[in-house]
This record gives sequence, structure tokens and C-alpha cells, in this order.
Amino acid sequence: MKVTYNWLKDFTDIKLSPEKLADKLTMAGLEVVSLEQKHGDFVFEIEITSNRPDWLSVTGIAREVAAITNSKIKIQRSKSQVKIKNLKTENLEIKIEDKKDCPLYTAKIIRGVKVGPSPEWLRSRLELVGCRSVNNIVDITNYVLFETGEPLHAFDLDKLSGSSIIARRARPGEKIVTIDGEVKQLSPDILVIADARKPAACAGIMGGKDTEVTEGTKNILLEAAVFNPILIRKARQALGLQSESAYRFERSVDASAVEPSSQLAADLIEKLSPGKTVLAKSAGTSKVVAKNIILDCARVARVLGVKIPAQKIKIILQALGFTVKAKSKSKFSVLTPSHRQDAALDVDLIEEIARIYGYELIPRTIPSIKPQAFSWGVLDAAALIKNILTGLGLNEAITYSLTERNLAKSLGSTENLQAVEIRNPLSREQEILRTSILPSLVKCASLNLNQKQEYVNLFEVARRFYASDKGPKEELCLGVLLCGRKSLSLEQGMVKDEAGLLHLKGIIENMLLRLGIKEFSFSPDGQSVRIEVAGKKAGAMFRLSRSALELFDIKNREVFVAELSLDNVIPVLNLKKKFTAPPKYPGITRDISLLLREELGIEDIFQALRSSGEPLLKELKVTDFYKGKQVPAGWRGLTISCIYRSDERTLTEAEVAPVHAKLNALLTGRFGATIR
Amino acid sequence: MDIKSIQAQIESDLAAVHSQGQLEEFRLKYLSRKGALAQLTAAIPTLPQAERAKFGQEVNALKNNLASLIAEKEKSLGAGIKSGPEISDDIGMPGIAQELGRLHPITQTINEISSIFTRMGFCVADGPEIETEFNNFTGLNIPLEHPSRDAFDTFYLKDYEKLLLRSHTSPVQVRAMKGRLPPLAIVVPGRVYRPDAVDASHLFMFHQIEGFMVDANITFADLKGSLEIFAKAVFGDDIKMRFRPHFFPFTEPSAEVDISCIICKGAGCSVCGRKGWLEILGCGMIHPNVFKQVGINAQKYSGFAFGMGIERIAMLKYGINDIRLFFENDLRFLKQF
Repeated sequence: MKVTYNWLKDFTDIKLSPEKLADKLTMAGLEVVSLEQKHGDFVFEIEITSNRPDWLSVTGIAREVAAITNSKIKIQRSKSQVKIKNLKTENLEIKIEDKKDCPLYTAKIIRGVKVGPSPEWLRSRLELVGCRSVNNIVDITNYVLFETGEPLHAFDLDKLSGSSIIARRARPGEKIVTIDGEVKQLSPDILVIADARKPAACAGIMGGKDTEVTEGTKNILLEAAVFNPILIRKARQALGLQSESAYRFERSVDASAVEPSSQLAADLIEKLSPGKTVLAKSAGTSKVVAKNIILDCARVARVLGVKIPAQKIKIILQALGFTVKAKSKSKFSVLTPSHRQDAALDVDLIEEIARIYGYELIPRTIPSIKPQAFSWGVLDAAALIKNILTGLGLNEAITYSLTERNLAKSLGSTENLQAVEIRNPLSREQEILRTSILPSLVKCASLNLNQKQEYVNLFEVARRFYASDKGPKEELCLGVLLCGRKSLSLEQGMVKDEAGLLHLKGIIENMLLRLGIKEFSFSPDGQSVRIEVAGKKAGAMFRLSRSALELFDIKNREVFVAELSLDNVIPVLNLKKKFTAPPKYPGITRDISLLLREELGIEDIFQALRSSGEPLLKELKVTDFYKGKQVPAGWRGLTISCIYRSDERTLTEAEVAPVHAKLNALLTGRFGATIR
Repeated sequence: MDIKSIQAQIESDLAAVHSQGQLEEFRLKYLSRKGALAQLTAAIPTLPQAERAKFGQEVNALKNNLASLIAEKEKSLGAGIKSGPEISDDIGMPGIAQELGRLHPITQTINEISSIFTRMGFCVADGPEIETEFNNFTGLNIPLEHPSRDAFDTFYLKDYEKLLLRSHTSPVQVRAMKGRLPPLAIVVPGRVYRPDAVDASHLFMFHQIEGFMVDANITFADLKGSLEIFAKAVFGDDIKMRFRPHFFPFTEPSAEVDISCIICKGAGCSVCGRKGWLEILGCGMIHPNVFKQVGINAQKYSGFAFGMGIERIAMLKYGINDIRLFFENDLRFLKQF
């Protein structure tokens, strides 16, 4: 909304400079987003919040200026004294189909107008507030709209057929060509202003081309009305139109300002074009029921945290047009003015008081909180998981939950989840809610590989979504992606560590252990590795196939991903820790280097060794691992460290030797290993 | 060799010691297995019987003296327990360490803001991203057919009539207030969704953090005080703050909060649009209609609420000029935080 300094001055004395005024307005809730000096005037562009249609006019803002600068509002010109004499020869009937759609409709017939260019002062004011000058008649309706906030429309009377004007819903199949030249299909959800034959305007939104005022227009019908805000809003959206009129009607206009505004426009037309108002008619009511709000000054203090004197409260409210009567010593009965239909509760008045009093004068205090150390949802657990993963060197990614269908399907889905679709996406990238985090992580990997990253290690903790019998479900998940070579600069020089599934396994293992979860397993499951937590499937990890990599434009790289449902992990995590004393007696470590056939799983071997080594064997570790030239094909080399310890005494070599020999025998015997 | 001349030699040698290395050489010269003192000890058997005991005592005294001289010198060299780098070490070589993993800057910003409020006594809560129309709008006093809805363009789900992707974190207010009795002091971080055209400052998904407090005597002044603590903790003690009246359907009175521009300190620059102020959040006193919807007695309780965009805060804090960078996850970006 644009207003000018001089236009405001028509309605109130302003002693402040334009800059000071802009600042005052901003701090009163009328945010001045720009102030421009133009053609000897200053243009304020003000952002008007949707609850304050009364500020969508020069007079409305002038009222505010008067209140914040303690000055008076000048008599509004729109209150014309002359009562129009309806000529007997004129004939017009106003029909309103439904008062709910159109509570008030007023029409004036003005004859003998001469359409032409507007005088300079009118053109210039309109142009300053961003409105293009059309001709004197249209300009006057716009001028009054900006000045009073009441939208008006002028029809070419001679292009209307019949002598009645009807506010009705459009009939199915009806069409209209609007002033902008577009053909608009109408429907019964749209209110129109029609003549005897057809719609002449989309009510409150835009007039029709057929009945618009043009150079040849001699006689006009001037409309000023009130329309149902919701109806106008829906119609405006359905028609894809926006106009200054609709903007005001959908925020609701002041019914009591309709007639004075219409009169103001008629006066101006008579003055600027040799026309004569010959008929004024209206249907409906211009009455606005005032609301009576009881305001307790103690409550003002309770809400704001500052005591504002009752007298001050009264002055502020009166300056804004409220009628204030004392009910008791500290209670007021406040009547709302017709332009303040938004005010309904005492807090609405409290905001007005605070605004004018000045938010900056309200003190800053610290509330006393009764601390409650509860935590809702999974944020604490998620934060812990993120910290564990960054501790393992991974970088956190955040990607969009919305995605395109094809991308979502790109990695296949072991679970075959049904995606939840978006009704109103703006683009293909917003078609569905993702059923997996992984495709977006792979996309990030692709981007990073393109940037010549040698090593990409990302994770994301976010929700995935899927349709179920019970409606859409969201599930908190962890996605991890590893790709490339990590360069480790060590004492012996640079070592390249190529990421693989075992790295993923290590990450997930470490995380689960840190979360106090001991029951989990990794097992081959087709092309992927199934991850179970507490006996239930919680996720999977796998290497991306060549075709999947191609989809993401990744060449000559291996990408490893894991996805884990945290909704299956968080409920079983156990952060209660119990201290175990470190062993009192030193242990004895004995290594076994051996060759093992490749197909033998290490877990089975460890299990056998553990039960055979009891009770002295306390720990088993793989400390070296190799394949390649040094070992025969089909075999792998391993070094296993066996740690023996007793809780009662320091073990001797002699005690350990037989147990260790037994383990050696087990390896060579049952597992056919060659000890090296 | 006589003890006296050695003593003199020791003194002059020690005076020439100026580094750990030289001290070590000095120590080796006298105290090592083949050092001067060892040679003296070795010579004892060659001495006449009568002199042996006395000579031995003198060598021992010398040895002890030497040890304390070395300790003293070490102290004066300022080393004490430290042993300096070997000549062969090039300390200019890259250090050896595992690379740090990092939390996303959005997560870091959420953590920072949450922790400011938790230190003030707030709890952190969470809510679903798929919401009902009621929790997202009606329960928050946002009428379905009102221009105030324009600020909340929303993604709806296709096969579910009244379900949508939350367009703000405020639905968690409704859930929390329905689920618990006051006093309540809660912050809610999370993802929100709006069908906005994508550009350097708009995305269809971003993050918000919401906070609210409800108790018997919560005032607008409390809101101002709490947010001042927050803003100064995030942006520094020297920022100025202002509360501008604004409109939100779920608060009354409502305000927008500006801080003095952290780039130009209020002088006016391109970041603040020459205004000298940066808008950082919206807030206000919880609307009685919201209390009514969740069954809290608005006569007995009052409360404040505030909400802000995490990306906006992070962009201001880190000087990031394009919101899309947050979601590309370029490691060259992520590793800066």
C-alpha cells in the first residue's frame, strides 16, 4: 500500500519529517518498507498486515498518524451535505439474490458526463501511489478507493440492458470478458453484477469489457457495495485475478463508509466532468453492529507486564476511534467503531494500547520458569546418534524430504514401500515424500565426486514416509554413505584406505554399542546385508550396482550405503551404564597366524574358539588379515590374538600353554587351518 | 686425573650449555657409562689402598653434585619434563590425525539456539511433519478462508483429505498444550514445508524453531526479556533490538523482532536493505482462541510464543548468501562449520 505525505496532510497536520514519520509508522505496526521523494511529494510504501483493512486507505493511515502524533483528524471531505433528489424519470431496480453474498449495494446514475483525461493533480496522485491513469471517471473511482478504502466501479449505463442491476451467482456456463481482455469462465461459486441479460462484472473483483467506461460514455452507473469477503476471496482465486478492489473486499470493507465514498466520487465527477447525479439508490444495510468489549486495566498490565494509567488507555483508544465509557474505577466498556471489525476481544484492544503506547517502552523482564526436565520425542536420541557419527568422522548432510518419483525408485526398495504423494507440487522435485533417504544421499555423493572429492562420507538423520492401511506413516531413519579412498597420513607415509561394506559395518556397530545395544547382527540377504537390532529387521546395507551408479552419473567408483530405521533402534537403546572394574591381574596374549579357506566365516570360528577356551580365554581379535599373492588361491591369511586372563591370579605360561594348544588343534582339526 | 681439574672442567662446560641438546651432550660426557665419572670410578682400584675410600667419596659427591647441577640447568632452560623435537622431525609436516566429522550448520544452529533456551529452563520437543489441517491452521486461530492464510501456502497430501505437510512448527504448540498442563516452556525445532518458488532466499523445505511458555503470569515484558537473552547470545552483546507491532493469527499482541544489522551495525547496507535493521523472528502473546482450542483457561493462564527460520539465522550468522547451499551438501561447504 502506497500513500503520500501530502495526501496524508489533507487529513491531519503532520509536524514530523517524512523520515521521522516513516519510523513512527514502522514502530506502530505499519512497516514502511520504502520512502521515496518524488514530484515534490514523498511516497511511503507500507506493508499492511491482513487483519487491518482499515489501513488500506489514506484516511485510515491518517487516523493512525493522528493517534501516534497526538494530533486531530480533519473533517473528512467525503461527508457530503447535499441530499440527492431522485428524478422521477429515472428508473433503476437493485436486486440482491442473497444478502449474505452482498449485504449492501448502492448505485448512482450520473448523466451527461464527458470522458477525458484527468487533471494533472489527480493523475499525479494516482501515479505516485502506483495507479495508472485511465480517464477522468475511472481515475475518480480509483482515487476514492485509495482515499477511503472503499472500492467503486463505474459502468457505462447505456451498455447495460434493462433497468435493473442484479447481484447474483453466475449461472453454469456463463462467461465474461473482463476489462483486462481475458475471457473468464464463470461458475455458481462466483458472484456477479448482472444486467437483465448477462454478467456485467465479477462482483468486487473486476468489471466487464462490454460495460466499461470509454471515451464515448455519456451516462454512468456508479457502484459502491459490500461483498462477502470469503466469497470474493474464493472467486478471485478461482478466476486467477487480483485487483485493488478484491484485495480490500476479501479483507472486508467498512459498510458505513460505502455511501459517503460513493457520494465523494459523485461530487468529484460533477466537478471534473459536467455530469449530474440524477438517481441514488441502495439495497441492503450499511449498519455495522458495534461490539462492546469490557476492558480491565489490571488485565492490560497482566498481559503487557507494565502498568499503563487508565486515563492514558482511554486517550489511546479514543484516538483510534473507539468509544470508551468507564464501567468502574479500572474497567472500561469499549465500543468498536465501524472500521474496526477485526477487534473482538480485550487482547485486541490491549495490542492497540501497546502499539500506541510504544512496544519500546514495555520493560524487559525475565520470567520465572519452573524447570521441567522432560524431553519429548526422539530429539535427544537423534542428537546422540549424530554426535557418535561425527565422532566417527562422518559429515552430516541435510537433504529434501520431497523428491521426484523416479529418483525415489532409483535404488529399488527392499521393502517396496508405497509413496505418499503431494497434491499440489510446484515441480517434479516435489512429487512425493521420499520412502528412503538413500537416493538423496547418493545424489550428494555424485555432486561431491564431480567436485573431485577423493572421499565422501555422509550421513543423514531424517524421516522417510510411506502409505499404510492406517494412513501415511513417518519413520525416523539413518542413512550412511561411504565412497572413495580415505588418505591417512601415517608414520610410514600416506596410506589409502578404500571404503567398503566393513567400514559401514564398523560405523553401525560402534554406534549401536555406544547406544548400549548389544543384540544386533549383520547377515547376507540377497544382494545386500540385513541388519537386525534386538531380533527385528532394522535396515540394510549394500553396494550400489553399476546401473544404479549410472543413474546418478557416478563413474569408476564404488558407493556403499546403509539405511537403518531409528524407530527400531531408539526404543531399545539403553544408556544406563554399569561400571565393571578393570581386570586386576595382567593377561597373556598369544597370537595365532593361520591360513583359512575363504568360505569359512570368522564368526563361526570365533564361537568355537570361545567355548573351547573357557574360562581363561577372555578376548579374541582379528589383528591382521590378508589375501593375495602370499597365500594360495581360495585361502586367506589371518592373525588372531587370544587374550587369556584370570580374575583370581596372575596366569603363568604353564597354565596358558595347554589351552592355547587346544585352540590351535581346533583350528587345524575342525576348520582345516594351516598354522603359519 | 684429579677431581679438582674435573670440577673446573665441569663448571666451564656447564656454563657453555644453552640448549637441551647441549645439556644432553654434557650429561653423556660426564655421567654415561664411558663418561668422565665412570672413568674416575674405574680408576679407584689402581689407587693406593689408603686413598681409595676418600677418593671414592669425593667421586660420589661429585656425581651427586653433577646430578643436581643438571637438574638445575634443565630448569633454567625451561624444559623440565619436556623433551624437544629431534633434529630429524620436520614439525612443518602435516599433523597426523583422523579427520573430524561435522554436524550440518543447520543442526549446529538448532543446537546453539536450543541450548540457549534450555539453559533458561525450556524443554525441547518434537512433532510429526505430516499434520492435520486442524493442528496447522484451525487450532492456531487461522481461519481456512482468510487472507492471513496467504502467508502459509501449504503442501497437501494427495490421497488424504485433511492432511498436509506442516507449514510451520506451531502445530507442536497445539499438541503440547493439549498433552500437558501449564507451566510449559518448550522449544521445537524441525523441518517445515511451503510451496515457494526456489531462489537464493526461498525453498520449499526449511527449518524453524518455535518456542512458547505458558504459566499463570507470563507477560509481554517476559517475552521481550527472554528474546533479548537469546538474541544477544547468538549475535553478540552489542546488538540493538526492537519489537515492531505485527500480525499473526495465533498471537495477540504480536510483534516482529529486528536486530541492528550485524554487517553494517545499523548504518545501512545491502544485507539489511539500507534499513540498518534485520528482521529475525515473529512473536507475541498466545491468542485466547488458541488456548480455547486446546482447553487451557485463558483467564488463568497467559503465555508467549515465538518462531524463527533457522536458515535465516544461520545465513546471517555465517554470512551465507544462498539458502540452497544448505541442501547441496558439498563437502567444501560442510567442512567449513
